[in-house]
Amino acid sequence: MAELHIIGQIIGAGGFPQNSLFCKWGVHTGGAWRLLSGLKEGQTQVDIPQTGDMAYWSHPIDLHYATKGLQGWPKLHFQVWHQDSFGRCQLYGYGYCHVPSSPGHHRISCVTWRPLGSWQEQLAQMFVGGGPQLRSPDLIYSGADRYRLHTEAMGTVELELGIIMRHFDKYGVES
Amino acid sequence: AVMATSNPSVFLLSVNGQIEGANFPEYDNLYCKYCFVYGHDWAPTSGLEEGITQITCKGSESSHKLIWNFPLETTFKSTNPSGWPQLVVSVYGPDVFGNDVVRGYGATHIPFTPGQHTRTIPMFVPEPTWRLQKFTSWLLGRRPEYTDPKVVAQGEGREVTRVRSQGFVTVSFHIITKDIKKLGYDTGPSSLANTPSATSGWSTGEQPYNME
Repeated sequence: MAELHIIGQIIGAGGFPQNSLFCKWGVHTGGAWRLLSGLKEGQTQVDIPQTGDMAYWSHPIDLHYATKGLQGWPKLHFQVWHQDSFGRCQLYGYGYCHVPSSPGHHRISCVTWRPLGSWQEQLAQMFVGGGPQLRSPDLIYSGADRYRLHTEAMGTVELELGIIMRHFDKYGVES
Repeated sequence: AVMATSNPSVFLLSVNGQIEGANFPEYDNLYCKYCFVYGHDWAPTSGLEEGITQITCKGSESSHKLIWNFPLETTFKSTNPSGWPQLVVSVYGPDVFGNDVVRGYGATHIPFTPGQHTRTIPMFVPEPTWRLQKFTSWLLGRRPEYTDPKVVAQGEGREVTRVRSQGFVTVSFHIITKDIKKLGYDTGPSSLANTPSATSGWSTGEQPYNME
């Protein structure tokens, strides 16, 4: 069995309309992968930055996977939410990125998008917030049925991921 | 005589570095406490696990620079990369009444490739949830604080916390590892470039001093 360690942080996010943000995240893998230790999903704290546009979470990630195959390489997926001063939450973006497949430190900017409703819904969203959400979060990291969606671009999630691989070379895998 | 090839069961991570300083636009006269947090497969073999810096204030030249130049020299051993050590820093300073209050908590993983690395750690404070609490805490000089700063190194339980990020601490590391490759782990190429790990989004126009 080959082993993969993912050690790093969800640093924060920027480029969204408002900056009081938090993020729900998760890691999705194929059937050949087994999580040996670490939490594969979570929710960050809400950061309201004092200055500037970027919200910082510094959310640690420390995952240890064992795998029998390359299929279903881990993918990190995110939902960025905005929380206002009254505690109400509004979706600001969905995004995903593959976990890097080469060992070492990686700095990743993950782009996000948000479903766009009809023009009436957009108008209402401007005044009272809210907006359409995905019924099932699988669509964040899968391509099936994406063609049904109309979305708008939102900000980026910044990550720093360190990858340690073990025994992949014994199986002839080059990375 | 021929040196016997060893079959190591542990690998070592040697950390030499310094807490260079900080960038906090709104605060001055700060000191920093640090400690290491690691998983149960890890143990420190030499050096200090925690410490406190001196109190520093902004120089006359650049109004945002706070310098500590505080040494970090610690070595860890482990059998497993899980629980890789993190450096947890917490910065404290005086408030209007002279009480010591926390100005930021932050954490970063120790880099694992040999070589030189710089990390710019965003620092945040827990926010009181109610406006009345904000006012009384300002009046009495008591901010919400974590009972144990080490919680900053964990991901669980963060869903209910509101924080405010308000500064950065810059740390530089020189990393040496021993026997990580012999145990079968590939940690990637040694570091070549020295790139800061977080961009500080201050729009004041003044460059945070440690960007290259």
